[in-house]
Amino acid sequence: MATETGEPAEQTGKEYADQFRNHQRIEQLLGNGLYAFAALMLVFLWLPLLIIVFLSFAQSPNLLPFDGLTLSNYQGIAGEPGLRSSVVSSFSIATFSAIIATTLGVLASFALTRYQFPFREVYRTFGIIPMIVPGVILGVGLRFYFLTVGINPSFLATVLTHSLYGLPFVLLIVSARLYTFDESLEEAARDLGADPLTTFRDVTFPVIAPAIGAGFLFAWVRSFEDYIRALFVSGINTDPLTQWMFGKITKASAENLNVLNAVSTLVVLAIAVALAIAMNYGNVTGYVAGTRDDADEE
Amino acid sequence: MSRRSEITNDTEASTNNQQTGTTGVSRRAYLAGAGAATMFATAGCAGSSGGTPTINIITWNDFAQDPVLESVEENVDATVEITSSTSSTEMFQQMNQSADFDIAVPNNNLVPRFLNAELIEPVNTDAVGNYGDIYQKFRDFVGEQFTQDGNAYGVPIRWGWYGYAYDTREVPDHEPSYNIMFEDDYVDTDLDGEVIMYDEAAKTMPVAALYLAAAEDDPSYREALTENDRMTFTEDQIQTMRDLLIDQKPSLQGYISSDTTFIQQFQQGNFLVGHSGRNEVIRLRENQGADWVEFVVPQEGAMAWYETAVVSQESDNPETAWEVVNEYIAPGTGAELARQGKSPSCNPNVADELEESEAELYGRIDPERFEQFIPFKDIDPDVQEPYNAAWEEVKA
Amino acid sequence: MAAPDRDETLRAALVSGLSRRRTSLGVTAGPGAIWIVLLLIAPLAFMTAVSFASIDNVTFNIIWEPTVNNYRDLVVGGTTEYSLGPLVYTATAFEKAVLLSYSIATVATVLCLTFAFPLAYVMARLDDRAFKIVIYLVLLPFFTMYLVRAYSWRLMFGQSGVLNQVLGAVGIGPIGAFEFGIPAVIVGLTHAYFPYMLITLYASLDGLDFSLIEAARDLGASRVDVIRDHIIPLTLPGIVGGSLFVFVPSVGAFITPQILGQGKVQMIGILIEQRAIGEATNAATASAASMAVVVSIVVAMFLVFRYVDLDELGGV
Repeated sequence: MATETGEPAEQTGKEYADQFRNHQRIEQLLGNGLYAFAALMLVFLWLPLLIIVFLSFAQSPNLLPFDGLTLSNYQGIAGEPGLRSSVVSSFSIATFSAIIATTLGVLASFALTRYQFPFREVYRTFGIIPMIVPGVILGVGLRFYFLTVGINPSFLATVLTHSLYGLPFVLLIVSARLYTFDESLEEAARDLGADPLTTFRDVTFPVIAPAIGAGFLFAWVRSFEDYIRALFVSGINTDPLTQWMFGKITKASAENLNVLNAVSTLVVLAIAVALAIAMNYGNVTGYVAGTRDDADEE
Repeated sequence: MSRRSEITNDTEASTNNQQTGTTGVSRRAYLAGAGAATMFATAGCAGSSGGTPTINIITWNDFAQDPVLESVEENVDATVEITSSTSSTEMFQQMNQSADFDIAVPNNNLVPRFLNAELIEPVNTDAVGNYGDIYQKFRDFVGEQFTQDGNAYGVPIRWGWYGYAYDTREVPDHEPSYNIMFEDDYVDTDLDGEVIMYDEAAKTMPVAALYLAAAEDDPSYREALTENDRMTFTEDQIQTMRDLLIDQKPSLQGYISSDTTFIQQFQQGNFLVGHSGRNEVIRLRENQGADWVEFVVPQEGAMAWYETAVVSQESDNPETAWEVVNEYIAPGTGAELARQGKSPSCNPNVADELEESEAELYGRIDPERFEQFIPFKDIDPDVQEPYNAAWEEVKA
Repeated sequence: MAAPDRDETLRAALVSGLSRRRTSLGVTAGPGAIWIVLLLIAPLAFMTAVSFASIDNVTFNIIWEPTVNNYRDLVVGGTTEYSLGPLVYTATAFEKAVLLSYSIATVATVLCLTFAFPLAYVMARLDDRAFKIVIYLVLLPFFTMYLVRAYSWRLMFGQSGVLNQVLGAVGIGPIGAFEFGIPAVIVGLTHAYFPYMLITLYASLDGLDFSLIEAARDLGASRVDVIRDHIIPLTLPGIVGGSLFVFVPSVGAFITPQILGQGKVQMIGILIEQRAIGEATNAATASAASMAVVVSIVVAMFLVFRYVDLDELGGV
């Protein structure tokens, strides 16, 4: 890259100006390049999803030859055997497991942020591991274990597995909120004579409620979209949506793909709406990434 | 789902309770109890005329289709509950783990496993009146593979065979042989990257064995498939088969296990030659009008499957269960099943109930042709580990 | 139907209980601890035990006689020869699967890092309004079902997939690289875990003081210098954390190679699934293969956490 320092002193003003202009142009090109690349990455993220959405309205699940548009793929959803029960099954599994994960995760977050105890770091590490262990291994390990202790692959086994899987998401989000929480507020409340339950209800809970909600949502979504853990522990009588979809993918006939494209589009749409609402009301970015517009909250 | 609400019968409810109440008891001890419960249940049924027992079946999806279900329930006084499964191993594990199923319909090669684990009871020949009508060849197979102390333990229902299909627009007529998969100059078409093998050891290893038996002029490879109730390859043979498949791999388009993926990709022109079951190809011709597909039985022989109904020792209604099994090979219901899976019934009389065009595709077969077919078998436990390892190496 | 005064007693007991540090610690840390012990530690311990046992070929029952055969078979008896000069090594299917998984995961991680960094950098510099739109566009795929995203690439790839159809239509013809196989798996994984990398990187870039960078540039530092001396050191935790979030799940991937590999990409996740519930079902060999992966991941994480604190990994 060109740098202006150390240039010979006898350069004329015009040369300086030229050089400056060149430099400006390079800067601008690089800047534009950066933005173009960033835009390209967004396209990369979106292209396959957009193609699904497009194909969900197409007559044939192949892009070419293009046979025209239709809504019949969506009409086909209603008569699809097993779809409704898998959606119900996925919703119930996600809800039960997220409730368990949230309860345990919130309690554990208090323990981690408010108390010193032996093996605290170990506790925290193990609380995060379920999120990091590859799904195949968590699924296989729990399958063999459940079978041995007498829990056959089933709805219950899936809820237990997902409650463990969801725990780290709640733990990370809620404990992060509690770390930044001003404990002197609690102390003040107690000094004024409030007992711990009242303090929690009136002071602590309102502040961490959004974090609890975010943790619950994360745990819920993780459960809802999980295929691999459920594959090993759900058994043949429980058929979550992901398994139904996987069946359609691997049994890829044209009719199957048409229905699948429509269902996938509905999933993307539902998430788009939910996310838009969530972002309007809460600091989603803050929970997912960092602290940007944290001030919005209180 | 209305089917579920029909199961409101006092006798049934009480035996079900007994069943769930004994989960903690050891399997052995439980068997005696289940026997007593069965007596009680049958007695109860005989007493109350309106008692329709529920038969729980774990089997292939074809059996869960309405025409089949309706046909069974019309002819047998039973409510049938189907749990769909996509693998015989899964059926074994389910029956092994829980007492929920009266009937399973695994492929023939898994039946000895049910038998050795003492999960199933001998065929009630009184209840299965159609048994005598099935092809002699299948009764022979039953005798060879799962008959103990003169008792047969399973009833063949439908059958089919694996050969290969090719695209006649690209691949010229030729003497059908597995050579086409392993030798690049067997036909005058460039098949590099155009061949699909089945993504399952049980289907593909026998192909390697049949090819080697002919190519190396070594009948022992074939005998390992035919002579015993298991595939009895030696470790050396397994290694030779493995090396053959590894050498073949670079010129393959890939491995596919699901029927519909095979059909879809064949139709899109992703490959020209595919190791496959006959019913896939019939589906392709019948539903998609693909007249360019030819399915052949290689001269070296073809592997054949026949699904086999077995009844659990723990069934509360074994007699009714066998009646349901009998219905699956009865001409009417048998024809519905054949239609669903595009696969012929083991009872030739079923063909009488099919339309002429259907019967051509999955109706009767000249018994002499059975000489070409070798039933699929499980691997001999003594070489199971090297066999599994060999397949992993092939796929690695 | 408790009387009000009983409610009061209960409440008083609860309050006094919670005021005692020990009890409240038990109440808060206890349930999570029980869950972790029963559903994480016990299964892993059980898996370890099974990996040293063997399985009855007929009934699938576990035979509790200690053996190291399952581990020996992971590394002994391979067929594929690798030579490095005079050194010749014969790899087993397991070793090849591990090698393949680690290679694919490495490539996917590097691709994610290269692709995500510029986008994260741009995002950190956007004004609030633009940022909200971009983060929405990023979070939506992130929250979309993993399976849907893997499936979307199944439509794109293949001899007759969207990519080759489009290429064919413009006359460039189908390209081998766009068929199912390793390249498709790498693209699928990169797409699947790209948002994890992006968000982690963004979290660390967001804290960056851009006036520092401006200052360095004003003082005449080149772009490369600025990136090397300022941006990378300051965002290192994000880079390491993001890489971990891409690498570890990629190593254990199952859905992506299954859907995009056409049976030819046997990554470690597929091998374990086959041993666990597939044709060659064997709990002992499946456990041994899983343990080997767990150990390799633990080692990788141990190395990582020597450099970064868990807290700095963001909330993903």
